[in-house]
Amino acid sequence: MINAEEKKDKIDSLVRACGVLLRMNKARPDGRKSERMYYEMLANYYTRLQSARDEGKFIAAHTVFFPTEILYAMDIVPMHTETTTWMISLFTGECADLLSAGADLGLAPEICTPHRGLAGAFAIGALPRPDVMLWSNLICDNTAKSGELLMEVNHCPGFFLDHPFQHSEDEKKYLVGELDSMIRFLEEQSGHKMDWDRLAEIVGLIDRQIELFREICELRKAVPSPFHTQGFLELLTIDYLFPGQPEAINYLETLRAELAEKVSSGQGAVSNERFRLMSFFIPPMYLMGFLERISQEYGAVSVTEPFFTYWGEGRLDPSRPLESVAEKSYMIPEMRMYGPLDDRALKSIVSCAEQYKVDGAIYYADVGCRHSCATVKLFKDTLNKIDVPMLTLDCDVVDPTITSEEEMREKLEQFFELLEDR
Amino acid sequence: MKALGIDIGSLTTKVVIMDDDGTLSLNVTPSGDEPESSARAALKGALGQIELNLDHDLYLVSTGMGSKSVSFTHQQKAITTCLARGVYYLFPSARMAIDIGAESCNVIKVNERGRINDWVNHDKCAAGTGVFLQQMAKIMQMPLEDMSRLSLNAHSVPDITSTCAVFAESEVISHVHRDPPTPKEDIVAGIYSSVVSRIMTLCKRTGIEKDVAVVGGVALNSVLVNILENELGFKVLVPDTPQIAAALGAAIIARETIEKGLGT
Amino acid sequence: MLERFCEVNNTFPKTSEILEHKGKSGLVFGWLCTYVPEEIIHAASALPIRITGHRQETELEDGSAYLYVNNCSFSRSCLQMGLRGEYDFLDGVVGGSTCDGARRLFDLWRYYIGMPFHHVLTVPRKYTPEAHTLYYSQVVQFKEHLEEFLGIQITDGKLRQSIELYNESRALLKNLYELRKLDNPLITGAETMEVLDASFRMPKELFNLCLNDLLRDLSNSTPTHQGKARLMVTGSVLTNPDFIKSIEDRGALVVTDELCTSTRYWSDPVVLDGDTPPLQAISQRYLNNFPCARMFPSDERFNRILELARDFRVDGVISQIIRYCVPYAHDLPLLTQRLQAQGIPTLAIDVEYGTSGSGQIQTRVQAFLEMLKVKQR
Repeated sequence: MINAEEKKDKIDSLVRACGVLLRMNKARPDGRKSERMYYEMLANYYTRLQSARDEGKFIAAHTVFFPTEILYAMDIVPMHTETTTWMISLFTGECADLLSAGADLGLAPEICTPHRGLAGAFAIGALPRPDVMLWSNLICDNTAKSGELLMEVNHCPGFFLDHPFQHSEDEKKYLVGELDSMIRFLEEQSGHKMDWDRLAEIVGLIDRQIELFREICELRKAVPSPFHTQGFLELLTIDYLFPGQPEAINYLETLRAELAEKVSSGQGAVSNERFRLMSFFIPPMYLMGFLERISQEYGAVSVTEPFFTYWGEGRLDPSRPLESVAEKSYMIPEMRMYGPLDDRALKSIVSCAEQYKVDGAIYYADVGCRHSCATVKLFKDTLNKIDVPMLTLDCDVVDPTITSEEEMREKLEQFFELLEDR
Repeated sequence: MKALGIDIGSLTTKVVIMDDDGTLSLNVTPSGDEPESSARAALKGALGQIELNLDHDLYLVSTGMGSKSVSFTHQQKAITTCLARGVYYLFPSARMAIDIGAESCNVIKVNERGRINDWVNHDKCAAGTGVFLQQMAKIMQMPLEDMSRLSLNAHSVPDITSTCAVFAESEVISHVHRDPPTPKEDIVAGIYSSVVSRIMTLCKRTGIEKDVAVVGGVALNSVLVNILENELGFKVLVPDTPQIAAALGAAIIARETIEKGLGT
Repeated sequence: MLERFCEVNNTFPKTSEILEHKGKSGLVFGWLCTYVPEEIIHAASALPIRITGHRQETELEDGSAYLYVNNCSFSRSCLQMGLRGEYDFLDGVVGGSTCDGARRLFDLWRYYIGMPFHHVLTVPRKYTPEAHTLYYSQVVQFKEHLEEFLGIQITDGKLRQSIELYNESRALLKNLYELRKLDNPLITGAETMEVLDASFRMPKELFNLCLNDLLRDLSNSTPTHQGKARLMVTGSVLTNPDFIKSIEDRGALVVTDELCTSTRYWSDPVVLDGDTPPLQAISQRYLNNFPCARMFPSDERFNRILELARDFRVDGVISQIIRYCVPYAHDLPLLTQRLQAQGIPTLAIDVEYGTSGSGQIQTRVQAFLEMLKVKQR
């Protein structure tokens, strides 16, 4: 039985955590305004989720890289399962409990921690029970296979969005068909009708959002680079949680202005920029504070993340909203790692390394992420050809038992020394 | 001014002194429980009765696991940086160095200037290191030295496939207790084979490039080096005292620092 | 009886038939996954063979260096063999977008091994009419790509011939399995595995002849496997008969299996009626095929497994899942529940690809069998 009190607690703690981060930001003289806006957005996101049940709102839990814009256009409350689980792990420190609950469901230890964690979180009521479970096959098997068990755990209906592997016209048509089916499913389940005008509006804003992402990343090319090393996680979360939302546009415009200001005054994110780094995959979230500190200490900044922040070409046409939602899903940076891995992916690495004047690269090799780790050698070889060394760090996004701060420090210091020595 | 390099490992502490004219003196002593005292003891052993003033007469670069805890060092460098310099000094043609130490295994690719292009290492688990071999010797109930000699008589080499030392240990134990038991020489050959396998996986991650130098304490094990050469398909370069490669690199860095006038 | 098959398996990939075929300037294409329509390759007068890894569990230095240690040992094993030149005779490789291990295997194969022909089919995860439309277009594209590469036309006539040939193999394998359905089966699971392995490594013409011979021999044989617990082995890719043997040596009989290399490979025939164009029939069959765990909804696979368990009157199920085999690992909790609801207990074992069944595995199987005996009483 899900304990109703327990259920509220975990989202409560996220709201509280956002409040704490907000206050910390305000207390700092150099506290970034955009960062405040970011925490406010997060706080609102979780407050909305917190009160959704009581207000009789319809909650849709969904997996990563999901077209959340559809949910916004239908006035459905979204719950991003992986992100919410990460945050719960981080802010409550109860990662082990979530993982163990996942194991109790029968999920093997090789299943990545975000997915074992989120299944466990549903099982023990740490995540609120959704009205529907939505999932797609982006970007790996773990996501594709997660939904059915979660439907059973939550006793709720669900929809699987099948995203085709390649980019041909037939496949884009199939995807649009899938989106359409999903909308009909949601209309039936929620009793809300799709507001096509609103979706068109949102698509227009997403187009603007992507433009802003591009502009911000353009600013990061400056020497010294203006955006701090863990900043890209904010950009990622904006795309995950707030596609086409006016607050997101405000945040991005504010951030852009802040970075432009820093660039014009020659101010870098670190006081003495020595190493410009390319990052692959996501660093351990529980070490974010440490990674910022070591970044300042060594003057090492992540200036580019080809598969997280380097957006592909293309514009979205609001007059064809559904096709645009489909199109957008192919433009997401991570999508270069989906589909047959081709020159698009490797060329973007080389291009980013050159454009951003990268000294070295770090691959955060998450032990549970198979499709990502399979590219470690290929990406390293690609970078070595242009004389950029790459450090591979075995770690886990959420589970603090996989690697410690000491181990990370040792390896990073060794790597910085290697870069210095060259 | 004397240039000193010291590599404080978990099993042994190595000291290399490089004089102005480039002459080397080497010293290897067992490490104690604690890095600071191990370092002092090793320095004493290396310098003998000569009383030298740390600030005027010598410049010390330290490396290795315990190097951070040593208070009197002038500069501290990562083991990989020192390995690269040491190997480059010993074998300028080497483009790859495999360092098999007590508790870790490092593989580095070195360019023509002696700088590192790529580095992978293996220290999460003992499999593939000196400590692993010591543990195996205990299980086989024989001195480490005897294992090598024995393995040469192996008829068939069993696969010990576990990538983890703990599981590999239980595989070995099951071979010992089998009915009939696997011959000791075969088991030892299997152990060595599995160590070489771990090393080969690391090498393949960086891509194998000749010439390959092998250093570190375990490089003294000629049988193991032989097996490695068989896997690689060519001969490797092993210095006479392979354990001192990193300490040598540290001494070279010390010498460079003195010459740049930064040692005063 | 099984010598011919064992010979193929022991010499694979460079079997005498393959070498002979190459000697006559024949082309060989390697395929991975049951969603690749083999008949099309055959209709192009090429020899399709399935890419599999090392026969026994082995050191995967190359595989691990390229695919990293957290990709399944099957994909690492296949890649290693490819990197070491054991598949250097292949004129091309064909895969489907089936699972992460397979797709990265293909990605790295293309970059580090490189073959004259390389093709990946998008395989939808659903069975809807739209999914069928998409898969059909993928099948057509594959056929056209192959035609372009070979400079030939793959006619409907040739496709029909290939379909008939492959359907014959499937029917023969069905007959073989009927002999395992009996109260006193005439062939063990381990022996069947030798036949199955050979089925995707030999030219089908030859395979059908050999299997016909075997069936004839078996029909004249006396049953020697009575009174044993009837087991089903399910899960990830399995090709090593020694694993099944290690289970059967404990005193049970593996009467059926649900694997990429067994029933999921051959069970469903291509339905050819007068009107349906052969390419469409192929496409229908391959997407609707006995489901891999990647397909949605999972109940389609679970129902087929329950059906098998009923038809073969299975006492217990042994699930063998390769470490890091994600789709099958995700299915396991729900599958175990479904089987339990039918009164069928499951033993779940983590394996590596190619394992022959170590002491630990045998101990667990033993305990499982004892539990089944108690249950029967």
